[in-house]
Amino acid sequence: MLLDQLLDRRILFVTGKGGVGKSTTTAGLAHALAKAGRRTLVLETDTFSAMESFFDFQSTGLEPVSITDNLWASNLDSEECFIATLKRFVPGERVARAVIKNRIARVFFRAAPSVNEVTILDQVRVFYERQNPDGSPYFDHIIVDLPASGHAVTFLNVPATMTGMMRGRGPIAKMTAQVSALIEDPSVTAVVAVCLPEEMPVNETIELAAKLEEVLSRPLDMTIANQVHPAPLKGDDRETFQTLHKQVRETHPDLETLFFETDGSEGETTALARVVEGNALSLGWHDRDQTYLKLLHDRLDLPIIEVPVFYEATGSDVVRHLARFFLGEADSLEASQPQEESRP
Amino acid sequence: MTRPSDTTNGASKTISKVLSKGRLVVCVGPGGVGKTTTAAALGLRGALAGRRTIVLTIDPARRLANSLGLESLTNDPQPIDLPDNDTDGELWAMMLDSEQTFNDLVDRLAPDKGALKRAKQNNIFRLLSSALHGMQEYMALDKLHDLYTGGHFDLVILDTPPTKNALEFLETPSRAATFFDERIIKWFLPGQGEPGFFGRMFNPSSIVLTLISKVLGEDFVNDLVEFFGTFHYLQETLQQRGEMIEFILRDNRTHFFVITSADPRRMKEAYYFHEKLGGLDQRADMFVINRVIPSFSAEDIAHLDDDEFAALLENQGVTDSSQVRSLRSQLEAQYARLAKLALRDRDAIATLSRRVGDDAVRLIPLLGEDVHNLSHLLKLSDFLTPLEDS
Repeated sequence: MLLDQLLDRRILFVTGKGGVGKSTTTAGLAHALAKAGRRTLVLETDTFSAMESFFDFQSTGLEPVSITDNLWASNLDSEECFIATLKRFVPGERVARAVIKNRIARVFFRAAPSVNEVTILDQVRVFYERQNPDGSPYFDHIIVDLPASGHAVTFLNVPATMTGMMRGRGPIAKMTAQVSALIEDPSVTAVVAVCLPEEMPVNETIELAAKLEEVLSRPLDMTIANQVHPAPLKGDDRETFQTLHKQVRETHPDLETLFFETDGSEGETTALARVVEGNALSLGWHDRDQTYLKLLHDRLDLPIIEVPVFYEATGSDVVRHLARFFLGEADSLEASQPQEESRP
Repeated sequence: MTRPSDTTNGASKTISKVLSKGRLVVCVGPGGVGKTTTAAALGLRGALAGRRTIVLTIDPARRLANSLGLESLTNDPQPIDLPDNDTDGELWAMMLDSEQTFNDLVDRLAPDKGALKRAKQNNIFRLLSSALHGMQEYMALDKLHDLYTGGHFDLVILDTPPTKNALEFLETPSRAATFFDERIIKWFLPGQGEPGFFGRMFNPSSIVLTLISKVLGEDFVNDLVEFFGTFHYLQETLQQRGEMIEFILRDNRTHFFVITSADPRRMKEAYYFHEKLGGLDQRADMFVINRVIPSFSAEDIAHLDDDEFAALLENQGVTDSSQVRSLRSQLEAQYARLAKLALRDRDAIATLSRRVGDDAVRLIPLLGEDVHNLSHLLKLSDFLTPLEDS
């Protein structure tokens, strides 16, 4: 399946520019891995949870909630992560909570940069190290829905920065060094970028790959391009259509503005003109997608998965479609490939 | 029903009024909906209405800079050549560079060059200025403060980062000052007869600070002491600016626009902003719905005229009936999908209109091309509010 190359990585960090379907894709990946029989934990980093609505559950504290067979989820609340980390350094939870309750310490830790990031990543490490009684890993995969790509490298680099700041000395430095070693180990972790085939998301993905190399000395492992519009017309039909479109525009010179008139003001356009114009718009989307996909392929030497747009699905349906697509069971009708026979 | 057309309605009048009388328009909304471009279009409209306008963006596409006739946007305002118009308006644009802004701020406020040099070698400073996660919002507000109070600009259009960060953005004035909170600084500062951090550390009651030192390591704590020693001068200024910014955000000439697309997931985020603003005692004056799909309707397929279609193809020498059928079925299949999208958009918009009122919703149609130049931007801005009313 498409995900074969991720199967030997235990921690998957997913990032992408805001609005490209990062959380949806994270959920789709998690769902696919779980369906493939992998015990999968999907984590969010103290955010407005998308997973709760995709998978219909309520998170409670840090402990992962069981969603379906092989699938767990948790939204890592930064204060809870902070207490969990602190507990490992002070004698007992009671003292940890006392520290948190202290006004000065509270204000300090809340406002200090990077404390949230480091304790959240430390919690990822804790789940990574969790074992079954027989010593095998409790979770096969941990998928982390990271902040948007502008912040992702900074986020992942925080443990290393902290280690440097503390000059590697002291108990916290030991912890941050462990976390950063885990993050930087390409045999354990993979970084996956989600994008759309549009100017900004593609450029940001290219920048992300460069920045991962520069700051973390590690590659970007995979790019998932979402909402790729298939060509509405194939081969010769495309050429025929384009002349046809030109002809329709000539007979309706003001079509472009009429195009935007809505309900009840259909103006001078005919049904035919609208059908043709709609297809011209779709063809435009397809062409634009191809331009930016080409840029992506030219600039990045790594696997790029192109996910077709799911015209008729929303919310958690998209997650299910994505999972099926990743597993190679995509229903071609839903994947809007009108030219192909649908497979069972 | 609100219409995505170049007609005037209550919403376009509101936009027009905001652009001619307001002083600050804060654009919030989810990512990937063309928010920055819409902010630029609002700025263009403001300038054409005679205002000295600046658009402060956070994360612009190079395309946007190019569309404004610039090679790139920088951390300083750059003037934009406007299309011929006889107003005194001006349009300027800039992109926030938070690291640069932070360094400038420190430079400007540093008591002496030595302090500055020491600061730049301090680990905490380096972490703060490079790991700007969470600081970007504050720096945007700092820039906003300068632009707003600088005297030259009478209209500021502020673009914000998407979702979670933008919420921080609204909450930042108090948050940023928090880090420099006097109470904290005092704990770390040796001075004026009071025992500083180390003095207190040996005070048996300050178990908490002993723990901080034990956990974070002595070197880190030393850096902290030095950092606060160097930066306590920032505290007062940041506090004042924070208060000023809160004041600006609450001014009645400050307006919040939610920019979104009609996509259900984005709409959900737009509602989230709506509620969040409400929680902060603010309200969104306008919902701009970008990239609305034209009103394609599945009925059109039934109304396709066989003869008209055949004639059109015949003109191009396509007469083979199976080819005509195949072409037609492809066109119909794709159009049917678009019609569903169009219906979904319209439902989402109708729901929003019922909730916030028709006059608070303005639609911009999905244009067939990206915005590449000023005339595209002008076309987009026509949909916000027709020029005649400006």
